[in-house]
Amino acid sequence: MTNLPLDAFTAELQRLHAEAGQVLTAVADDTALELARVTFLGAKSGRIRQVQKGLGQVAKEDKPAAGRQFNAVKTAVEELFADAQQRIDAGASPGAVEAVDVSLPGTPLRLGRVHPLTQTIRRVAAIMGYLGFEVVEGPEVEDQWHNFEALAIPAEHPARDPLDNFYISVAQAAEPLLLRSQTSTVQIRVMEQREPPLRIVSLGRVYRPDTADATHYPMFHQVEGLLIEPGTTMAHLKSVLRSFASSFLGGDVHVRFRPSFFPFTEPSVEVDMEWNGRWIEMGGAGMVDPAVLEAVGYDPDVVSGFAFGLGVERIAARRFGVADIRDFYRNDVRFLEQFSDRGQV
Amino acid sequence: MIVSLDWLGEYVDLPPVAEMTERLLLAGLNHESTEAAGSDTAVDLEVTSNRPDCLGHIGIAREVAVLFDRPLRMPAVELPPVSGDAPVRVTIEAGDICPFYSARVIRGVAVGPSPDWLVRRLAAVGVASVNNVVDITNYVMLECGQPLHAFDLSRLAGNQIVVRRAVAEEPFVAINHKQYALTDEMSVIADAERPVALAGVMGGAETEITEATADVLLESAQFAPLPVRAAARGLVLGSPSSYRFERGPDPAAVEWASRRAAALIVELAGGRLDGPVAEAGQLASRPAEIILRSNRVETVLGVAVAWDRQREILRSLGFVEREAMADASRWAAPTWRRDCWREIDLVEEVARIEGYDCVPENVPLAAQPVQRSPRERTVRMVADVCVAAGFCEAMTRSVVAESFEAFDSPWGGVAPLVCRPPLVRGADHLRRTLIPSLLEARVGSLAAGAPHGDLFEIAHGYIIRPEDAQDGGSPVEEPLLLTLVTGGDFFCGKGLATAVLARLGLQERPTIESGATMGPAGHGVCFQPFVSPLLAPGRAAEIVLQRSGFPTCRIGVVGEISPSLGQCLNADEHTVVVELRIDCLEFIVDEEPARVALSSFPAIQRDINLVVDEAVSWGDIVAAVESTRCRELEAIRLGEIWRDADRLGQGKKSVVVSVRLRSPETTLSAEQANALVAAMVEACTSRVGATLRA
Repeated sequence: MTNLPLDAFTAELQRLHAEAGQVLTAVADDTALELARVTFLGAKSGRIRQVQKGLGQVAKEDKPAAGRQFNAVKTAVEELFADAQQRIDAGASPGAVEAVDVSLPGTPLRLGRVHPLTQTIRRVAAIMGYLGFEVVEGPEVEDQWHNFEALAIPAEHPARDPLDNFYISVAQAAEPLLLRSQTSTVQIRVMEQREPPLRIVSLGRVYRPDTADATHYPMFHQVEGLLIEPGTTMAHLKSVLRSFASSFLGGDVHVRFRPSFFPFTEPSVEVDMEWNGRWIEMGGAGMVDPAVLEAVGYDPDVVSGFAFGLGVERIAARRFGVADIRDFYRNDVRFLEQFSDRGQV
Repeated sequence: MIVSLDWLGEYVDLPPVAEMTERLLLAGLNHESTEAAGSDTAVDLEVTSNRPDCLGHIGIAREVAVLFDRPLRMPAVELPPVSGDAPVRVTIEAGDICPFYSARVIRGVAVGPSPDWLVRRLAAVGVASVNNVVDITNYVMLECGQPLHAFDLSRLAGNQIVVRRAVAEEPFVAINHKQYALTDEMSVIADAERPVALAGVMGGAETEITEATADVLLESAQFAPLPVRAAARGLVLGSPSSYRFERGPDPAAVEWASRRAAALIVELAGGRLDGPVAEAGQLASRPAEIILRSNRVETVLGVAVAWDRQREILRSLGFVEREAMADASRWAAPTWRRDCWREIDLVEEVARIEGYDCVPENVPLAAQPVQRSPRERTVRMVADVCVAAGFCEAMTRSVVAESFEAFDSPWGGVAPLVCRPPLVRGADHLRRTLIPSLLEARVGSLAAGAPHGDLFEIAHGYIIRPEDAQDGGSPVEEPLLLTLVTGGDFFCGKGLATAVLARLGLQERPTIESGATMGPAGHGVCFQPFVSPLLAPGRAAEIVLQRSGFPTCRIGVVGEISPSLGQCLNADEHTVVVELRIDCLEFIVDEEPARVALSSFPAIQRDINLVVDEAVSWGDIVAAVESTRCRELEAIRLGEIWRDADRLGQGKKSVVVSVRLRSPETTLSAEQANALVAAMVEACTSRVGATLRA
């Protein structure tokens, strides 16, 4: 037998690889594919088989290298064949792939949404979280101590009028319970359980007998913040609310206080934030009334604190440009799907 | 409180109106509007309920005077001297409702139109002119905040005034000429025979001042806030008078207003005073004395206000410094500021007048670490699954119609929790499940044309706890529920429930009995047949939580809606609901699940064709397979179930169980796999009577 130089064997392999590549990427139907298979991969006299015969003529010391090269090309050609077969099976023709109408709809994948009020609550809770406030929750069916007395709203206070609250008579309770009219109730519960320092936000549903209209609903959501630490002043309150407003609205937002009246804070203020050159109402706030601190067993001469409350519906309506807050409770997915939180939560 | 600028200018020199309203706004009187009223200007100011002193022009003028450092001019009141006895007798029988009552008699008045200035001023603040005497009572009320009433004395029986409780059902015709039925909780001003006014709320038609009136009885009294409020609300008869009495006018104004009005009547309607004022009772006044420490304002505000400035502010507001001490002083509050009785109230007065703009807005807060609670994290996780599954979050009312609650709840609570008044008309039952509410939302939304109604909600239910579970706490339990509603069959719902539970790390277990195979996590859930009026019979399951060391408990239900619920809400019966008690699942977010290293060895897939009795459930078969405790058993899947009475026999079904076997240490051989499968078949044979299909 004549010796076949390794170079010649390699060259033959490369030629085979190139030709197979040309043919197999161009074949367009089963007949051509079968022909190509016989030509290149035929068991008896296919080109691969032919070249393999040449392997025997390579010098003994070159055999391992030649064998490796042969195997690599053989595998490559088999892959080319498999690709061609797959392409033909899929009905595509080479060089003339049928273009799709890219404007046709994609396969639908529907994502849901969290409710715009939830988006707003999450955002508020996240911002307050950066400021060290922890979210707390409490019961919606409350007793009169937590909803009124501990909040310095005595029995004769008009806020306790039966027409202004949703009272619930429960046989097991000594006095009627009620659907809480504010989430400050949770603050009382936390203060009763824990010692200062405290930074909490209580949030959830609250209930007041308002006739439903564009700006009122008998059920709505509140977020209330409470901070109790020695040495707390209104300057801390203003600074925290400014940080909050800046984070919520973006940019450096100023806030201002207007005197107001709430039974459980003294001094009490309405808080405005400056938005697009206008002062808009943000919520109520104030220093926790000493009577409230005493009611939960704190010493008002030792600790002080502030509280603030935001109406979630109101800020959501403003943030999203919703004119009628009743829309938040209509639960039509065409409405709900419009609210993308844009990664802000 | 609507203020006439022309009128207000009588008591203080006014700054430009915009400047004035801006300053008042920042001192606690919200500016609602400024509107032209003829040649005058009407300014509407919102007065908070703690400031009845600002329900009169003088009170507003005092604020302006303090804020702009201008003198306040009080109108001089001079009455001609009188002698003799009072011509009427006043008796108070209901002292809790009326602490003090005074009556002044003016005889020989000429009732007629008011002078132009009076008509104009009243018109500017939205009060129509009636006649000179009535106008004067309104005018003085709007001046000093003390409501007054004038009676035609000739129509009062027995020359006497009795303040007493009404007799139940006692009829009364108010000056609006409507008849009201009184209750014995209301208080009236009566003459010797009958009620002539509803105390603090409104006068009566029979004794009103008319053109024919010659003798006037002028009432100036103090009424307790709550009874006035109750009467006004009970009869839906609120008035400017009741509005003020509910808030508590200045006690000192009772006497001043009476003299002021009497002087004006004499001046504008003629007539003469008859005798001294007739009085009964004691004026309730609580003159507070308050010590203010000089450093207190800074402690509260975070910014210092000079001590002299603090004292100047308080003095200008009418506080009297009774005693000056080293670093404090003792103050007497003015009679019209009954809201001020503690040190903190004085701090607020100083802050309010000095202006909150002086409070810094850049005080840093020490950093504090925060963790999301298990509840927050649980809610986030389950909501994320729902959103990923294409569901939109809904919010429905917590209080529903009784008809919704009639379908019972998976969460117990037989006695209904009913609120008064209803949340909205017809809805007064606190819900125990969200299912009907969410279903209603779906139906409504689809009917309105929404492209789909796949909704979820996370909210509380409300349940009365069993007596023995109350522990002295609230009798009401509020499970936190996640509810989903969509179109589809039971399995569609179960798939959703399983996905949510899997996200939390809770896998389905075949049966409750197989607690031993719960795995390293020590918990799992099991679906069992469930009967509820909410759900279709035979097409519903309860989801039972098994947790090492705890009794099993129901944490969810899933099922197709029952025909009756569908009918009630007009819902397509091809609707499925899931409700989970996520408050019972919070524990799991604090558990870090054990990780399983992936095996690098290949798996072997085998199908086992079993024939079992119809009554054998898939769960029974899974439990049987798992009972082999086969370490290499990686997954069990349902291949298919089919029935063919001819080939399998009556009452039999074929179940193809697909198992995947894999060893962490080695490549399983076919022989090894065969042995493992054989053990599983044997377990199925012995436990559920399965045979291999030929």
